[in-house]
Amino acid sequence: MQASLVARRARLEPLLASARSLREANSPRGQQARERLIRSTGLSAQGVEFALARCLEATPSEAEITALLLATPESNTAHVLLSANVFVAAHRAIAIGLASSANVQVRASRREPEFAELLWSGAPHSFELKAELSPRAGDHLWAYGSDQTLHEVAKALPSGVTLHGHGSGIGLAVLEGEPDAPELTRIVRGLAEDTVLFDQRGCLSPRAVLVRGSAEFSRRFAERLAGELGRLEQQIPRGQLDPTEAAASTAYRDAAAYAGDLFEAGRGFVSYAENGQFQVPPVGRHLHVSCVPELGASLSELSPLITCVAFAGSARTAEQLQNQLPGARFSDFGRMQCPPFDGPVDRRAR
Amino acid sequence: MNRAQVRLSRSAELHALVQHFARGESAHAFGDLALQIAEFQREYSPGFARLCARVGAPLSRIEAIPGVPCDAFRLSRVAVHPEGEDAARFATSGTTGAGHGIHAFRALETYRVVALAAGRAALLSGTDPVHVVALAPELGDPPRSSLGYMMALFMSEFDARADSDPRAPERWLIDEQGVKWHALEQASENARAAGASLLLLATSFALVTLLDGRDGRELTLPPRSVVMQTGGFKGKTREISAPELRASIASCFGISESHVVGEYGMTELTSQLYEATLPGSALAATHSGGHGTYVEPPWLHVLPVDPVSLSPVDPGDVGIARIIDLGNVDSAIAIQTQDRVRRTGGGIELLGRAPGAPPRGCSLAVEEYLAARGA
Repeated sequence: MQASLVARRARLEPLLASARSLREANSPRGQQARERLIRSTGLSAQGVEFALARCLEATPSEAEITALLLATPESNTAHVLLSANVFVAAHRAIAIGLASSANVQVRASRREPEFAELLWSGAPHSFELKAELSPRAGDHLWAYGSDQTLHEVAKALPSGVTLHGHGSGIGLAVLEGEPDAPELTRIVRGLAEDTVLFDQRGCLSPRAVLVRGSAEFSRRFAERLAGELGRLEQQIPRGQLDPTEAAASTAYRDAAAYAGDLFEAGRGFVSYAENGQFQVPPVGRHLHVSCVPELGASLSELSPLITCVAFAGSARTAEQLQNQLPGARFSDFGRMQCPPFDGPVDRRAR
Repeated sequence: MNRAQVRLSRSAELHALVQHFARGESAHAFGDLALQIAEFQREYSPGFARLCARVGAPLSRIEAIPGVPCDAFRLSRVAVHPEGEDAARFATSGTTGAGHGIHAFRALETYRVVALAAGRAALLSGTDPVHVVALAPELGDPPRSSLGYMMALFMSEFDARADSDPRAPERWLIDEQGVKWHALEQASENARAAGASLLLLATSFALVTLLDGRDGRELTLPPRSVVMQTGGFKGKTREISAPELRASIASCFGISESHVVGEYGMTELTSQLYEATLPGSALAATHSGGHGTYVEPPWLHVLPVDPVSLSPVDPGDVGIARIIDLGNVDSAIAIQTQDRVRRTGGGIELLGRAPGAPPRGCSLAVEEYLAARGA
């Protein structure tokens, strides 16, 4: 490793150590983290635990870290504007800041400031928590949030500041053909877990499934997925939805019930449309399964929105999908929320 | 009779009952007719049957009729009849986003009866002659806009001129170049010369476009002229408050603000609500809500409901509007909107559209998805 990379690599270590200690359920820091995160995220206790265990990248491989360092531009000062709800995302975002600069200033989400503070308390000399960011020419700003937030940030930015904006998106599951029984069980289980994480509030969270197969199989898949989500909810209950999320959930439920089949999936729903009609359900553990005659047309209108794809099918189709969705991350089912620690999870060109 | 014939017969019977009701000639109560139509739709609309089954309550009172979400029009066909029987298909304007929905009508006579009755009560103030023009693009053939269709109806029925052809281009004051200011001036002059007032039918965004593009010009409309203002902005122009827009319209045209009458309608409905502000109108004679309060016609009822439980809210509380419209015989008797409303003494106060779940973190909000699809 080059000397400069070694120095940048060293800046990450206190942060990684802080994350590791937060993941330990029995440590005082780990216990404190769980108490605070349950209060701030609205996730259930089991939901917080599952997210920490599955998605907090406390022990990335050296290959991943090297990739992250090589992909991150160096800057005078790195500013990091965090979003809410996928609380572990603060860890990766701050790591990218540290890969860029020794001087990292972080503004946590006002709605969910806890995880950034928890990380800072274990690595207080690595970065600063700020109430506001004031980037100057030559600085880089990594901003995470809704497209509207990014638009407002970009408008207010002084000239000479490089903005790395990572906005809204969705995860998508794609099935081609009918997998055999063991594979189907694995896919359904993995997709349900991907959906349950963060109660589906992340940009990697799957929201819809495209099935290129028979209508009968597609419908059965939707029903089975709903059953798996219901079963998983017994282990990892859904947390609280805020009033607007709950209202959106109600509206989706009734529109979907009118338009096609609707299967109860714990406190969420899986909708199914045989006519290929596509929709993105609101967050809260809802998935829409759409039976499509071919993937190309369905994907073309969605491509700018897709951050992550889990795919089961032929190698040829996988290659086509990757060509069609060059900005999306491809992962296995059950790993959609665990992309390599090699840079921002959102790799779409903006 | 086979099932389709039974459906057609029952549909015709219900249309006739609703038309009688709208003319004030019916002995039926609103609730009775609404429940009859709901039962009819449950029988012949699989989507509505599914919705009723999910709710699980018997259709024994109007509060128990589940509202069909506006989004359902985008996701599927909302009709008891097959496409081959469509007399008209009006496209939804995409308030909530992408993939325009369709409101299919098997017959338009009920639409005609209820739209004219409500429009006449709210927009006409006496027996003086009226000329009718629309600040809208020409009606397509076949018409795809329910608003355009209603405007054409008003031209046909309310305009005093013997040759009141609603397809005449001079009646439609927007083209590819924008607002046809000179055509509006000409329409105003023609009305004045004929001793008539002008009824200008317009959307809010068209009015803002007109006001922004008039270059200081003013146009005093003939005495007793009325502007019917409908709809929101849908991101098409700058947004200004309703009072500010109303004051600007009144000032521009030299009319009283009471002569700027708000209309509330949507493609998913057959019927419309109006403000009861026009002095001398039938609506103002019986209602006194003022601007911002919309009066339900007797054949339509707004039920403010909780946005999560969909249960009716307490009187005077804010809820989202479930609209029970007897005119929707062949589509959806109850429409569940996302419009926030409150029932007041004078009618229904509109409080704007409930926000969709806002983007939290980097998760894509449904409305962002819909917007991205180009609605």
